[in-house]
Amino acid sequence: MKITRRQFGALAGAAVLLRNLPAEAASDVFVPGWNLPANVDPHQVMDVPAQNVAFNLYDNLYRYEDNPPQMVPWLAESHTVSDDGLTWVFKLKPGSKFQDGSDLAASDVVYSMQRLLKLHKAPAAAFLSILKPEDVTAPDTLTVKMVLSKAYAPFLAAIPLLMVVNEKLVKAHEKDGDWGATWVASNGAGSGAYKLIAETYTPLEKVDLERFDGHFAGWGHNKNPVRRVEIRPTQVTSTRVLGVLNGSLDMTDSYLPADQIDNINNSGHAHVIKNQQMRIFTIRMHNKRPPFDNINARKCFAHAFNYAGFIEEILKGNATRDPAPLPNNLWGFPNDVKGYEYDLDKAKDYLKKAIADGAPMKRAIELHGQQDLDQAVQAGQVFQADLQSLGLNVKLVGDTFANMTSNSAKVETTPDMWIHWVSTYFVDPENWVGQMYDSQFHGTWKASCWYENAKVDELLRKARGLTDQTQRAPLYEDAIRQIVADSPDIWIYNTIELAGLANRVKNLKYCPVGSGCEVRWMSLEA
Amino acid sequence: MLRFILHRVLTAIPSLLGLLIVTFMLIRVVPADPAVALAGDSATPQQIEAIRHEYGFDRPIIVQLGLYLAQVARFNFGESQFSHRPVGLDLRQRLPATLELTFGALILATALGIPLGVVAAVYHNRWPDFILRFLSITGIAVAAFWFAITMQLIFAMQLEWLPLRGELSNGVIPPAAITGSLIIDSLLQGQWGVAGDALRHLVLPAITLSVGALATITRFTRAGVLETLQKDFVAYERAVGYPRRRLIWVYVLRNSVIAAVTQIGLLFGALIGGAVVVEAVFDWPGIGSYLVRSILTADYKVMMAATLLVGVVYTVVNILIDLVHGWLDPRLWEQS
Repeated sequence: MKITRRQFGALAGAAVLLRNLPAEAASDVFVPGWNLPANVDPHQVMDVPAQNVAFNLYDNLYRYEDNPPQMVPWLAESHTVSDDGLTWVFKLKPGSKFQDGSDLAASDVVYSMQRLLKLHKAPAAAFLSILKPEDVTAPDTLTVKMVLSKAYAPFLAAIPLLMVVNEKLVKAHEKDGDWGATWVASNGAGSGAYKLIAETYTPLEKVDLERFDGHFAGWGHNKNPVRRVEIRPTQVTSTRVLGVLNGSLDMTDSYLPADQIDNINNSGHAHVIKNQQMRIFTIRMHNKRPPFDNINARKCFAHAFNYAGFIEEILKGNATRDPAPLPNNLWGFPNDVKGYEYDLDKAKDYLKKAIADGAPMKRAIELHGQQDLDQAVQAGQVFQADLQSLGLNVKLVGDTFANMTSNSAKVETTPDMWIHWVSTYFVDPENWVGQMYDSQFHGTWKASCWYENAKVDELLRKARGLTDQTQRAPLYEDAIRQIVADSPDIWIYNTIELAGLANRVKNLKYCPVGSGCEVRWMSLEA
Repeated sequence: MLRFILHRVLTAIPSLLGLLIVTFMLIRVVPADPAVALAGDSATPQQIEAIRHEYGFDRPIIVQLGLYLAQVARFNFGESQFSHRPVGLDLRQRLPATLELTFGALILATALGIPLGVVAAVYHNRWPDFILRFLSITGIAVAAFWFAITMQLIFAMQLEWLPLRGELSNGVIPPAAITGSLIIDSLLQGQWGVAGDALRHLVLPAITLSVGALATITRFTRAGVLETLQKDFVAYERAVGYPRRRLIWVYVLRNSVIAAVTQIGLLFGALIGGAVVVEAVFDWPGIGSYLVRSILTADYKVMMAATLLVGVVYTVVNILIDLVHGWLDPRLWEQS
């Protein structure tokens, strides 16, 4: 076969290009397949993906570590609170620096809280009703004072939500009074253990970080810290799992399907880590729309979900049955509450009572679930099968989280039923039972069952206003007992988080807040 | 030729305007409330209302449309509600990756499809034709996501010949952006290793994306060649002893390929649409997955700009296809 000179040149060029190839797994680069937030501004976005970035780029006054999570002093070394629970004073550790080398002072903390409040986005929700920007001050360079407008017990638990940004740097990039929102969305302005490489940042696709050697906490705890992090979210479960199996990813996200556990554990160079989370899985019922405005109807549904079957067979035992709207490993959980068990005979009895009450049990009911999350789909299918055996007409609707939260803002558009998790944003019963069942939160996705009970409201509001945990705990326990008795929702499990992890990754330190995303603890074995 | 191009460009403008308006209206029909999606988890109803007002979602639709069209006329596509970055910047980052993938697939499909179509026609009703017809039907029918995962399992996992995902290997620093294309930029900067790495990463996604297009081009070429082979000039040229290879690959092919070239223009749109699945499986950071995410998060500005951009690219490609038609058969220009 004749080859022309042109053809030969093309072949030779291709051979040169394909030959000079860098190694796939660079030994000092950690590549997790974590999800990424819409942008990297910690005052605009604080969801589970945002934690993956914020916990590495930024520091907070206090931070949750370990499992069960404990709040440890971080940028602050101590705090005091007045007897009335209104005045909080935080003392900062001296000598902390931002990644640009400038000193971190109390004024930066003040600016950060004011910015958080003024931007008025979701991360501010915990503080908006209790703190005004002008009530956050810096009496000296290492002291921050916050005066609340009313006592709010979860305030300290929520303080880790506040990430401290570099005031001078952000102000230098403010545009048209935006508090630097556009710039901070794509750039780093923190003091965290890792710096953002802004040049390569692509929202939702790619975040590259490099180690900040001057981090205030030092690196003495880790002899061989990770030099560079390349966060590469993967959209498809199969690619995520294959990535861990072939070494192109070092870690999956925290939604690993249970049926992939053996694949990864048998691979020889990765394994599955299991950690008790504080993330409850629940099916909501619209308490203001028939038939769910009838308690017998709700109890019929509560007895019709196959809790043990779902946990043992679908999740292969990788979840903890949780019969109440609070992680069962948190204070405030009433250990005497039994919840509802799978019992189709009891379900039939309640069905008859509901029909006798005039509840329209035979109407078509829509059950919405996130179509891109396997467990939500599977839970819906399991539930639908059992409800159909009772003669109930349930239609599964694939949906998105954005759509479901959007629709749950109004009574008219909230779905009949929908499936979701409630993750740990701050470690206080307020994060779950407080915001899910106090009627003042109607219109938010957490309170989307539209449950209303004056006694429960009173208990929750009283608990919110006290600062002593020993006084608050019994109030939450009583509230939960009442809520369970009213059966507004179906509570299934507390998550055991599964993630695939390359064997070369060492010393990952898991905490339910952040799911072990703090890279500063990790090292990579060659 | 210049008049032809100008005419096509001018007729494209109302089409693109119509595309914008229809997309705008369709987006507003979607039930998701962008204010709620934008406010995020834990936002209070008051925060959501404030955002609705801040972003103008509470204004009449016709006012929102007018304001948006005025912005687009100034080439200002606004800011993504979520990333808080100019939409133009996000698209500039992602478009080169999609174009690399789409053109890579198109080049593969064309370079293989046309010769295979000729072979199938020349060996009409014999075993090469049967095999190629079977393969082309399979190529059209196969599900892209299944094929993509199969390619990963075979070439990345079993044989370890090619990378599983992404644009570059871990730890490889991308070149400074000139065009935005990793392959072109690294070649321009003499980073041969990076260019080679980027090319290796492109192979599996491009092959996956090309399968349907390859099958279509093969079939259209086959049909065109079969028809041309019946023509008188072919019999004449055979009779006078033209070399068979030259006859088939120059004269017959040139007269047969118009329909296939038309298909290439149409396939380009299909490839951009089909790229969404391929981008998802291979984690290719293109416009497809960006557009899907914008739909899931009700990011209106991104949806509009990305749809317009795909429309513009599609229009440009089809103008180029028309030019190729004219080169193949100058009578077509004279008629138009």
